[in-house]
Amino acid sequence: MVTQKEKKSCGQVVEEWKEFVWNPRTHQFMGRTGTSWAFILLFYFVFYGFLTAMFTLTMWVMLQTVSDHTPKYQDRLATPGLMIRPKTENLDVIVNVSDTESWDQHVQKLNKFLEPYNDSIQAQKNDVCRPGRYYEQPDNGVLNYPKRACQFNRTQLGDCSGIRDPTHYGYSTGQPCVFIKMNRVINFYAGANQSMNVTCVGKRDEDAENLGSFVMFPANGNIDLMYFPYYGKKFHVNYTQPLVAVKFLNVTPNVEVNVECRINAANIATDDERDKFAGRVAFKLRINKT
Amino acid sequence: GQKTPRVYSVELNGAKDIEKTDKGDGKEKYRGLQRNCLEPRKHHHKEELKKELDLDDHKLSNKELEDKYCSNILMGLSSTQAAELLARDGPNALSPPKETPEIIKFLKQMVGGFSILLWVGAILCWIAFGIQYSNDKSSSLDNVYLGTVLALVVILTGIFAYYQEAKSTNIMASFSKMIPQQALVIRDSEKKIIPAEQLVVGDIVEIKGGDQIPADIRLLSSQGCKVDNSSLTGESEPQPRSCEFTHDNPLETKNIGFYSTTCLEVSTPPVGTATGMVINTGDRTIIGQIAALASGVGNEKTPIATEIEHFVHIVAGVAVSIGVLFFIIAVSMKYRVLDSIIFLIGIIVANVPEGLLATVTVTLSLTAKRMAKKNCLVKNLEAVETLGSTSIICSDKTGTLTQNRMTVAHLWFDSQIFMADTSEDHSKQTFDQSSGTWASLSKIITLCNRAEFRPGQESVPIMKRVVVGDASETALLKFSEVVLGDVMEIRKRNRKVAEIPFNSTNKFQLSIHETDDPSDKRFLLVMKGAPEKVLEKCSTIMLNGREQPLDESIAKAFHTAYMELGGLGERVLGFCHLYLPADEFPETYSFDVDAMNFPTSNLCFVGLLSMIDPPRSTVPDAVTKCRSAGIKVIMVTGDHPITAKAIAKSVGIISANSETVEDIAKRLNIAVEQVNKRDAKAAVVTGMELKDMSAEQLDEVLTSYQEIVFARTSPQQKLIIVEGCQRQDAVVAVTGDGVNDSPALKKADIGIAMGIAGSDAAKNAADMVLLDDNFASIVTGVEEGRLIFDNLKKTIAYTLTKNIAELCPFLIYIIVGVPLPIGTITILFIDLGTDIVPSIALAYEKAESDIMNRKPRHKKQDRLVNKPLALYSYLHIGLMQSLGAFLVYFTVYAQEGFRPSTLMNLRVEWEQDSVNDLEDSYGQEWTRYQRKYLEWTGYTAFFVGIMVQQIADLIIRKTRRNSIFQQGLFRNKVIWVGIASQIIIALILSCGLGSITALNFTMLRPQYWFVAVPHAILIWVYDEMRKLFIRLYPGSWWDKNMYY
Repeated sequence: MVTQKEKKSCGQVVEEWKEFVWNPRTHQFMGRTGTSWAFILLFYFVFYGFLTAMFTLTMWVMLQTVSDHTPKYQDRLATPGLMIRPKTENLDVIVNVSDTESWDQHVQKLNKFLEPYNDSIQAQKNDVCRPGRYYEQPDNGVLNYPKRACQFNRTQLGDCSGIRDPTHYGYSTGQPCVFIKMNRVINFYAGANQSMNVTCVGKRDEDAENLGSFVMFPANGNIDLMYFPYYGKKFHVNYTQPLVAVKFLNVTPNVEVNVECRINAANIATDDERDKFAGRVAFKLRINKT
Repeated sequence: GQKTPRVYSVELNGAKDIEKTDKGDGKEKYRGLQRNCLEPRKHHHKEELKKELDLDDHKLSNKELEDKYCSNILMGLSSTQAAELLARDGPNALSPPKETPEIIKFLKQMVGGFSILLWVGAILCWIAFGIQYSNDKSSSLDNVYLGTVLALVVILTGIFAYYQEAKSTNIMASFSKMIPQQALVIRDSEKKIIPAEQLVVGDIVEIKGGDQIPADIRLLSSQGCKVDNSSLTGESEPQPRSCEFTHDNPLETKNIGFYSTTCLEVSTPPVGTATGMVINTGDRTIIGQIAALASGVGNEKTPIATEIEHFVHIVAGVAVSIGVLFFIIAVSMKYRVLDSIIFLIGIIVANVPEGLLATVTVTLSLTAKRMAKKNCLVKNLEAVETLGSTSIICSDKTGTLTQNRMTVAHLWFDSQIFMADTSEDHSKQTFDQSSGTWASLSKIITLCNRAEFRPGQESVPIMKRVVVGDASETALLKFSEVVLGDVMEIRKRNRKVAEIPFNSTNKFQLSIHETDDPSDKRFLLVMKGAPEKVLEKCSTIMLNGREQPLDESIAKAFHTAYMELGGLGERVLGFCHLYLPADEFPETYSFDVDAMNFPTSNLCFVGLLSMIDPPRSTVPDAVTKCRSAGIKVIMVTGDHPITAKAIAKSVGIISANSETVEDIAKRLNIAVEQVNKRDAKAAVVTGMELKDMSAEQLDEVLTSYQEIVFARTSPQQKLIIVEGCQRQDAVVAVTGDGVNDSPALKKADIGIAMGIAGSDAAKNAADMVLLDDNFASIVTGVEEGRLIFDNLKKTIAYTLTKNIAELCPFLIYIIVGVPLPIGTITILFIDLGTDIVPSIALAYEKAESDIMNRKPRHKKQDRLVNKPLALYSYLHIGLMQSLGAFLVYFTVYAQEGFRPSTLMNLRVEWEQDSVNDLEDSYGQEWTRYQRKYLEWTGYTAFFVGIMVQQIADLIIRKTRRNSIFQQGLFRNKVIWVGIASQIIIALILSCGLGSITALNFTMLRPQYWFVAVPHAILIWVYDEMRKLFIRLYPGSWWDKNMYY
């Protein structure tokens, strides 16, 4: 019966624990003698050493199956995503015109982001390519690398280039530039040999009203085919991806505006319901003016 | 209950004090009963007790009875009266033992085992969501889903376990309802057959031989009525019943028949029935009161329940400590508390084998079913295993070890002892039947016998036919039918002209017949009876068919034979005959049994015949098996010590070469006291000796003798014996059939009731019912019980292994910051999906070696889940599995563009919804959804990795010591069903349900299914090595640390 079960007093429990930790009679520490501990530690040392070796070996074998230059599979990247710069926590560009600090961080980020696009750097590292067609550099049996990249000069971004710009990409005047970029995908022939461009709209009707007018650089938000295909970090060393800058000229102040930009390209679907960033990007724009 | 301690104290003290109340020697055998059932009430309900002792119905005349119960002996009660009484007193049935309310049972399943942990997980999930939601209204519902899924898991497994339990209870319920009892009652002056349940006080019932007495009745008319009170008092001798008031004690007087006892015979030719008036019904009957006592005896927790509790403690301890440890680590690594809580949930879910308890239930019920097929009906699922850990069986003799019918065992004629076949179906008797003496003896056996077969049984085998008559006459009838053929025909040809039936004063039975020889006009007088009485009446003896004078040497031979047969515990009868001279007794002679106008002396002695209730033929083998299985078989019987010892010897409970103290004394010709008790291996202890023993003395008897027989014990003393055995830390199985056994059955670790002979009260108190009353069935039960313990070990080892493979991802995720390798929902799909059938399949595994050749497991030392099992599962195979699964995971990521080096510390960016251009190792950029999909592919990959290695795990778990090749890869087909189910479920999840995002499964490239195969093979090879070293170096360091 349950009540007959011997109940151990607290002292006994402590005593038992003490004996478990060090039993002077049998010279056992935590239930094992020294030799036993030595054995068990040795065993686990050898065993885990072996397992580590085994795992390392299989991982090494596995890594032999992947090339350094191109991933084995790209099935998840059939539709490249779109993103904006400046990159913010929740994809919202909030500008307090009077509060320099609120936009200075965006400006800093953009300066850094656009640095590789400086004309001098581009001219130094990249080729001038023929617009309107893909810049293909096939391997033809021998590895042909590093591959050359086409120039995308910062000056192409016009008013949004930020070069000698007292308005800091328009942030100080409440006419901010937002840069749209398309995700790099290796060996992706964006546009399927047809021209493509980026368009932006207000998400809902009231957003469209509040959004006001905007200008795009390059004109019409065009993205040229010559920047494709991308050959990967290792091959395409100095690759600078094409950008589209959108300068919002008269956004209704003190209102949150939902903007959606998408790419119009023959082989990029922009209606994936699950992936909200496939071929498009949605962000919030808010200009606070006092 | 409240009464329990009192029952014990009464029982224990009662063994010491000499009772004051019992004076009459007739009361002797009821002593235990009274002490147990009446005394506790004395303290509690004095009023009730008085009423009980005042039971004076046996003293009343018929008229007074009629007045008291407003009944009429000839006309019975009226239907309306009966209906009123039925409404007042309730049905005449023992109220079933108090059942736990269904809702309590259900709730117990909901909070038992791991459920609490999972509830905590679910609630944490909801809390986490609450916090998220209050911060950000658009937060995802993932945590709500997870919480709901966890709650569902608990509820569903709870419902499942409840259903399983209810199902096994129902088997029992349907079983006890199989035989509805009927009673023949006189109501409205008509004889009616009604269900015995509807009997009320005052009803007049009629009883035939073979009926169960439907209530406590006061007999009104009967002749030669005998009842079997063994279930009440343990007396195996039939008790005569008549209408006379013979004793003040209602238990002792002859005119009361007790509920549920059996009326053996009623021999009043014109009526053939006994009539009685119902004086107590249902729980108010004597039996009812004893049965109520049994429900007060506490039920012991079954060993397997203790083991499972122990296991749950281990796993829950590991889960909680790892969870808390990593919660602290996560917090100190500057993770948000909310995230840390979610990690904690993941760790708990990964650690808890959600499906295991359900699997254990299924496994147990599968075994219960298998045992039911072998005639062991298990009432309580957990009792399945208890039988396997049994170390002492206290067995009844009658019916369990023996066939429960008298059978002719030996014959003595021509100064020679012949052996008769006593097996269950003894179709032919092989002793020498050529002697003339046998011809005469067989004639006496046939003719001097009043037993008859019930008509209409020509197609039934002789041994199974129903006979009207007492046990010895039945034995003789069947014996002669087997040897001689149609007995009834022989009796017809030898017409009976006179008869003196057996009675206890003259101790013989005599009849006079015409002979079937038409030329012989002499009458034949045949007689049988107590051998010494019969011999007294003889002056000659028949040897080899010829009469010879009975001289000293032959008389001596007779005595030797008589003593020898008696020493075998057999009931011996002597047979003699005399051809009455035709001149003195012509054909027309009228015999008068009262005047005894015929000679009853100077007869011719023919032979002796001895009978015994022979052991079942399967029992000796079963006892040997028990012995080699380290189980001590103790016989507890109400029978005479000599008979008990003889049966014990013949079935091997006392083995051939072991002696009792008395045997040694006899052999050495010294006094019993002088014998060194250590020399004796066996002991026969009588109830009288037991009564004077202290608990310590009993302990000493139980420990110092290997072979023990308790004889002449009251069923009450069984309880003392059981408690004594339990003090030795033994797991005790007790068999019993009587109502009085029920406290002992309850007290035992596993009570085994007899399905055929057992009373309902015994069946209610027992954990298991032997459908064929056969001891050998217990042994098969033991085997199954041991097998299930081994197989449960395998199941648990199998299930625990993958917990590490489920846990490691979380730990790596927290510490290294890789994208989460496996989701919580995915883990549930392993625990409750792919792993269920395989873990059940292990229950079908055959034993590795002869499990009946090892000692029963020690309750406190041989745990179900021991240290080697946990360590080997967690730190060896579990770890190997984790590595294999991680290999698949890294393969998927690397081939999609994220090399392992890129994955390190990627977690924060990876999980940020606003980052939609995360760069992989090749400079490609990924949106959040693309990453999420890849993460799910990772989950699926990890899942498949575990699944593939669980197949290897399943195969290695088939054995613990032997090589898989010794065990045979294909002997257990169910294992392959399990493997197929694993693969099919995984395929369905990854292909069919890939589109349901909530489940987080995606299609996996076919080659990823094989990435973990090398690791699976490694697991197999490693385990084969482990087993090889265990076999090669038994007792070595390796064996001690690696054998679970």
